[in-house]
Amino acid sequence: MTKNRLLILFAIVIATGIVALPLLAQRNSPVAMPTTDCTRCHTCEVPTLREPCLKSCPRTEMVHQQGNHNLQDAPDSMLLSQLADLYQPVHFNHKVHASMAQMGTDCATCHHYSPPGKIPPCSDCHSASSESTDLKKPNLKGAYHRQCLSCHREWSHDTKCVLCHIPNVEGLMKSATEDPTDIIGKTHPVITEPVKKVYQTPYKPAPVVTFQHKEHIDLFGFRCVDCHEKENCGNCHDIEQTSKIKKTQEQVHAICNDCHKEDACSKCHDTKERPGFSHNKTGWPLNQYHNQLDCWACHPTGRQISKLNSMCISCHKGWNQANFKHAVTGLLLDEVHAEMECSDCHADHRYEADPKCDDCHDDGRTAKTAPPGMRTKHSGR
Amino acid sequence: MSFTRRDLFKMAAVGAAASVGGNLQASDDAYPIDCSQTYGVLVDTVVCIGCRKCEWACNNEHKLSTTDLKTFEDKSVFQQHRRPVDNAYTVVNEFKNPETAKPYTIKVQCMHCNQPACASACIVGALKKNRLGSVDYDAWKCIGCRYCMVACPFQVPAYEYNEALKPRVMKCTFCLDRLEEGRKPACVGICPNEALTFGTREQLIDLAKERIKAKPELYFNHVYGEKEVGGTSWMYLASTDFINTELPKLTNDPIPHTTETIQHGIFKSFVPPLALYGLLGLIMHSLRENKEDKESDDERS
Repeated sequence: MTKNRLLILFAIVIATGIVALPLLAQRNSPVAMPTTDCTRCHTCEVPTLREPCLKSCPRTEMVHQQGNHNLQDAPDSMLLSQLADLYQPVHFNHKVHASMAQMGTDCATCHHYSPPGKIPPCSDCHSASSESTDLKKPNLKGAYHRQCLSCHREWSHDTKCVLCHIPNVEGLMKSATEDPTDIIGKTHPVITEPVKKVYQTPYKPAPVVTFQHKEHIDLFGFRCVDCHEKENCGNCHDIEQTSKIKKTQEQVHAICNDCHKEDACSKCHDTKERPGFSHNKTGWPLNQYHNQLDCWACHPTGRQISKLNSMCISCHKGWNQANFKHAVTGLLLDEVHAEMECSDCHADHRYEADPKCDDCHDDGRTAKTAPPGMRTKHSGR
Repeated sequence: MSFTRRDLFKMAAVGAAASVGGNLQASDDAYPIDCSQTYGVLVDTVVCIGCRKCEWACNNEHKLSTTDLKTFEDKSVFQQHRRPVDNAYTVVNEFKNPETAKPYTIKVQCMHCNQPACASACIVGALKKNRLGSVDYDAWKCIGCRYCMVACPFQVPAYEYNEALKPRVMKCTFCLDRLEEGRKPACVGICPNEALTFGTREQLIDLAKERIKAKPELYFNHVYGEKEVGGTSWMYLASTDFINTELPKLTNDPIPHTTETIQHGIFKSFVPPLALYGLLGLIMHSLRENKEDKESDDERS
């Protein structure tokens, strides 16, 4: 019996030891040193909680961050002069490139890391040394060249060094562009969007498709990038037009189908060119107030526009006989008429129709020939 | 001093045994290399702009030509499909992406296979895989049989046909001299867009997969050279399928694998020669017995 008890005691001691030892060892062992190099993230030797002196770089992996930056704050052109001992400074026209980038992925086309505050220069993260050991990040030279040449080779098919670098040697200057201050040789013309595009399609019953380009921008509030999301420099600038490939029927329709999926062919296809949209055709010509509104202010159901209730109070919910100022319609009512009920002139509250006068006046007058008050500078409905 | 027939047999046996041992050691020595740690280069044809500076740097490094850097800016060479030749270890070719119709460029040079077919085919051991990753050529050993040119699945080795007296097989050396000094190859050093990345194979495969994962819309999901012919030191990323480009469709099995299995299998433990000699011995022995029987019969009669 005693032997058994001793055995149990022994077992308990051993078990406790096994459990406790690693815990003790853990407590006694010094703090595990990080395997990464401190200078990878910190600029100073002793970072503290208050002053962590963090580098402004994406650290563990490539991070895309877009702070709230304004293009207006950016310089129009920049002088890249780090290699001034070898080449003349490169004049980089930021404004032109930024306007072209709006057709693509905007600022992120080039600025892949733009945290709030100051946009860090490339050299903050990309090492100027060619012997950098971080394979995942191109060196400064590679980073710069990728930014410029990836687009420039796409459309000019030219990768000559003198495209940007004009050697610092007398006599060689003429080999570059005529205007050395402009990186692409001549200023980019202002991009003017077409009013409409008329396409001749192979659809025989109704081959003509009129695309109201300006209307889609003005009326429907499209941004360029909404439709031209996959544009790149080469699509417009390719000096060899061979790179344009024929789209399939599916691809051609895909861009319209985002909105017009439910529509019949006749929505776009016709036998002749069509005029643009006019609100007059809907039976509700817009007055000077409604004219200024965005479509969505009245038609809030997405891009599918449906007919609205023509009653004023369906939108102007606060209007009633007491607070409505008739002058905004272009007619300040005289005292007699101001006292009357709305429906006395506007039958059944149908305000888009002409008011009737013949309930009281039997001389055949209309509101146009004998207005019941004074015309104001406001006009129409 | 005179040799008896017995001495000769003894020496032959010793020699044979030694050569078996030697062969085994040589075959062990051929691929003991941990190819994840050998050096390689990742060619990212999505980043490559086809400036051909790598061609110039290579020519300059190996004194293959003295042509000025500016002449390499000529893009008209892309109209023809070029191959590495004896005075150009590397060339850049242009192809068109069938999906986007946009051109892309591919640099070609020796792939420095993990298990090189050229080294396997070489009958004098003039080609050998180095621990640093390169497949080295020893012109002093070379007898000019050009089996390596036939064996190479990428058809890379070229030959100095114009050299009458001492022609050599010419191919990319991976800038071995620079590798030994811990420097990048010349072409990698000059690439302005860093389309060429130098590192260990393991690092490069990770890097390649990371790039595909980060921008799947830009890259065709395949690292050419990771598995082809048992893996190569030079690997490629592209925007489209590699087939019908510079790079052939190849199996994942190392090219030397089949032939070496058969050849080494047969000669393992010196079995076929022993069997042959044994058979010959048996025949000779039986013939001799017949002869002796005949002679004794003749004597008796």
